[in-house]
Amino acid sequence: MRFQTRRSRVRVDRLTLNLASMIDVTFLLLVYFIVSTVMARPEDQLTSAIQTRDSDSAGSEIDYQPQVVEVVAIEGVPSYVIGNRRLRDLSGLRDVLRDLPTELGVFIRVSGEIPVEFALSAVQAARDAGFEQVTYVPEE
Amino acid sequence: MVELTPMIDVVFLLIVFFMVTSEFARDVRADLELPKLEGEQRPASEEAGLIINIRQDGAILLSVSDDPVDLLQLEARLRAAFSEEGAREARVLVRADALASTTRLNEVVRLLHELGVGSTRMGTEVPSQRGGP
Repeated sequence: MRFQTRRSRVRVDRLTLNLASMIDVTFLLLVYFIVSTVMARPEDQLTSAIQTRDSDSAGSEIDYQPQVVEVVAIEGVPSYVIGNRRLRDLSGLRDVLRDLPTELGVFIRVSGEIPVEFALSAVQAARDAGFEQVTYVPEE
Repeated sequence: MVELTPMIDVVFLLIVFFMVTSEFARDVRADLELPKLEGEQRPASEEAGLIINIRQDGAILLSVSDDPVDLLQLEARLRAAFSEEGAREARVLVRADALASTTRLNEVVRLLHELGVGSTRMGTEVPSQRGGP
């Protein structure tokens, strides 16, 4: 008579993990994120106070000469005007603004059919020059 | 037996990449070519608040899925929005296309001023390289 030993009766099973379903779910997640999302272009913002011609005429108690940058179209070309200086490029505007006292703030008066980019460039130039108080004045 | 571990690693990395670097399309942000300016470079965690989109053709959009609104409709929507929180404290972001006319932008800004909004924020797109128009 032949007896089996205890060791020979122990079955050695290899533990197998079925990954197929997890891979399916993972791929579905990947496809979902690719399809449902957009690559956002980095955005920022420019904050400015708002004042209109009506309200700034009401502020006649102001006892200083306001610093005004006019953004206008001269002969169809968008230009920046400070006092009697006409500037057509943003770097020139930055240079002029840097020479002005920043504590008084600056008004950006925008009039005419000008691309928005030029108007906001003036606001950006004022910020770059160190002005904390920038006021946007929309003209008719 | 195919070794799947590297592939799963790569797929998970791709998922993490898309989750981190992409942003869900917000219904209130129209696809516009904003002016390429650096802006104020403040942390982007600030709440956007009310967003007004101005397309290149001058159309005003409050939501991507809605039709454009005219100034009267915009005024009504703004009054409704400001009735809860008050216009003075309202946070308004104007996203205007770089090539849109300032005539339309000025109309919107004047309306905001008339409704009592003291300041506004104009949306810009951070350029990849320094420079301006």
